[in-house]
Amino acid sequence: MNNLIRCKRCLLPETYETIEFDENGICNICRSAKVKQDDVDWDKRKELLDALIVKYRDKGDYDCIVPFSGGKDSTFQLWYLMTQYKLKPLVVRFNHGFLRPTIQKNVERTLKRLGADFIDFTPNWHVVRRVMLESFVRKTDFCWHCHSGIYSYPLQIAIKFNTPLIFWGEPLSEISHYYDYLNDEIEWEDETKFNMCRNLGITAEDMYGMINTPENPIDKRDLKPYTYPPLKELKRIGYCSVCLGSFVPWDYVPQGEIIRTELGWEADLLEGVPGEINKHGEKIECFLQGARDYIKFMKRGYTRVSQISAFHIRNDRFSADKLIPLIEQEGKRPPSLDVLLEYLGMDEAEFNKIVKGMTIPPYQHDYDHLRPAEKTWDFDQWYREDNRKKAAK
Amino acid sequence: MLKRRIIPVLLLKNGRMVKGKQFKDFRDTGDPVMATRVYNAQAADELVFLDIQASQEERGTLIETIERVSTEAFMPFSVGGGITSIQDIRDLLKAGADKVVITTAAVENPDLIAQGAEAFGKQCIIAGIDAKLEDGGYRVYTHSGTVRTDLDLIAHVKNMTRLGAGEIFINSIDRDGMMVGYDLPLIRMVSEATDRPVIAMGGAGNFQHLVEAMEAGAHAAACASVFHFGDNNPPRARAFVKNAGYPVKNIQR
Amino acid sequence: MIGIIDYGMGNLRSVYNALDYVGLDAEIVGDAERLADYDHLILPGVGAFALAMQNLHSKNLVTPIREYIAAGKPFLGICLGMQLLASRGIEFGDSEGLNAVPGEVVPMDDLKEFPVPHVGWNNLEIVRNHPVYEGVKKDVDFYFVHSYHFQTPSDEWVIGTTDYGSRVVAAVAKGSVVGFQFHPEKSQAGGIALLENFANWDGSC
Repeated sequence: MNNLIRCKRCLLPETYETIEFDENGICNICRSAKVKQDDVDWDKRKELLDALIVKYRDKGDYDCIVPFSGGKDSTFQLWYLMTQYKLKPLVVRFNHGFLRPTIQKNVERTLKRLGADFIDFTPNWHVVRRVMLESFVRKTDFCWHCHSGIYSYPLQIAIKFNTPLIFWGEPLSEISHYYDYLNDEIEWEDETKFNMCRNLGITAEDMYGMINTPENPIDKRDLKPYTYPPLKELKRIGYCSVCLGSFVPWDYVPQGEIIRTELGWEADLLEGVPGEINKHGEKIECFLQGARDYIKFMKRGYTRVSQISAFHIRNDRFSADKLIPLIEQEGKRPPSLDVLLEYLGMDEAEFNKIVKGMTIPPYQHDYDHLRPAEKTWDFDQWYREDNRKKAAK
Repeated sequence: MLKRRIIPVLLLKNGRMVKGKQFKDFRDTGDPVMATRVYNAQAADELVFLDIQASQEERGTLIETIERVSTEAFMPFSVGGGITSIQDIRDLLKAGADKVVITTAAVENPDLIAQGAEAFGKQCIIAGIDAKLEDGGYRVYTHSGTVRTDLDLIAHVKNMTRLGAGEIFINSIDRDGMMVGYDLPLIRMVSEATDRPVIAMGGAGNFQHLVEAMEAGAHAAACASVFHFGDNNPPRARAFVKNAGYPVKNIQR
Repeated sequence: MIGIIDYGMGNLRSVYNALDYVGLDAEIVGDAERLADYDHLILPGVGAFALAMQNLHSKNLVTPIREYIAAGKPFLGICLGMQLLASRGIEFGDSEGLNAVPGEVVPMDDLKEFPVPHVGWNNLEIVRNHPVYEGVKKDVDFYFVHSYHFQTPSDEWVIGTTDYGSRVVAAVAKGSVVGFQFHPEKSQAGGIALLENFANWDGSC
């Protein structure tokens, strides 16, 4: 195990974003989780949810918008709202372009079983390619299009369909300290949150200025799907954009059980993550997840293995001793990295150099000992496009 | 207890934000009004805007940008670049700035510091110093690093303090945009020469560098590239600096 | 409608911007005869006590402000505006204040580690509950800029303090009057929450 300072309870390291340790070496996320388990009055929260739904039902073209990837959280969200509250939702997916076959099957099955209208929006790939490269070079995070699109496009749809209530799923209080359970907060998924921690600090207006060059101009409208709608328009429909997890104690293990039995939802393997800790199928909606996780390891010295395990530890389902051998196995080079490098038109040396420049101290990555991770079963089905030769010309 | 500050610096050129290396090679980094909205959401402690164009013809553009910025900036912010008179200061404060950074005029007309402090209070007046290491000693530069002066750095810092500057903003030209860490001996020298809070600028590439600047005596660490070119934001920076033992701001969301 | 009193002391625009940001109707008002038309009044300001009182007098604002407060309508002083609520100010001589909250405004001691002005983010310790604190977290930091401070004969009217070498009064309240030494309009979400609470307050305790 590398020599990072880690939370005495969940083992998340000091390089984890927004982590702070108390005098006993326990992190703020563990402390917040304890408040969630012991102190939050979930009955009262449920009453707030009841009231919210009474207020918005039958007010627009739909009762609510459900932004939906088809992953474990949004599937539960949709199931819960449709079965427990009999809402008529408009389901909206911003397709990031890297959906895996299992997710596609899950989505089709879920929507057919539940019976809901569905808008599936896929932005222009040529634009996606450019903003991926730009956000990777600036932030070592190639997912700007996904973060920005997922959290703004459904609000544009809410305006179009005059549907003010938007339900998101998992609260950030579960996984970071941007928000927490300590002060009885409701997590509004608003523009403040979007700018605080969703869009990498780069708005669509910024991105336009960054990629629109005389040699390679871009139509400003191409950035529209990533643009947070003006507050005035959202206020005009009386919008209310909120995390379901602020009203219902979020726990994706029992929730995963529900969607499996009720909807036949299937999990899948993730590159670099042992199947036994991810039976609930976290992050299986993206085939570049392995590459994303690998970058995180190069910068911060941990992967999703640590994050998933930390969650299990906080919920007393896993012990720190069992995690330590798994931590030793973290950081293998995933096959999806080749797919990403081809998209970006970048060789691995250049890629490493960019990531190295943005490493989070005190972590130092060992670039000399590559250990390959195994392919997942669907690797050969992923879309390939090699832009490296083009870039060389 | 006063909290340590981490201050994003936004360089302005023709109403857009840019960032360069060693005061050259500028790249577009976005729209200043949107950036202010983002930094407000991230509860940045304070912002500094420096107009690198700073020509009299562009004065109107700057004032207009600052007016728009002030509708989004619910935190203190300073503006610098091309300030030569009390009227310039008044215009910027009226446009919404809380403080001004005076660099070139502080050398050419040091009395402006005293006049500004008297007219608007010393908390409004930040003396900016652009320094470059040459032959083992520090040189004070003006005009965005293009004009070399004969001033002794320490004498200049003491003079600024005596004239009533509320803070000293020390910027290393060598380290600008290099992301290799601050010029710590420079920060140490300046901090020892004044009892005013020192804002360190130039060279931050990661959060450890911010902590080093504070260890060297800076009350606040200013940075641009860390946030423009890196997987970083102010809440993450605050958590890091807090884990290193410095008090940082508690926020309400 | 909230009135922001214009008496030539500093920038009112940032207070207006903060209120506008959360959709509160506000306007800047300098006309003494119109003060009574507003549901809420805010007295901002930076600068010197004596000059500020002089300006209030020369614009005939002192009497309508006192009448407004006497009528029990919500009134907020920010920074210098809070200091003006005091009985008197000792700065370039001795001058009478609005006398809405018992106390005096005196220079802060300039110590090496605690230079004056006191500028920066400092935490607000809530020492007494008040409707303006609704939903405001404990120990949040607010932005201070001042060289003089408010001293009260008793703690009865103090609702918030901060620590800058010694205890500094950060917020006062008496009846329908509230004062903040810090700048809520420059203190992000915490400050804006205070302004919203003030705007939603009817002045009763």
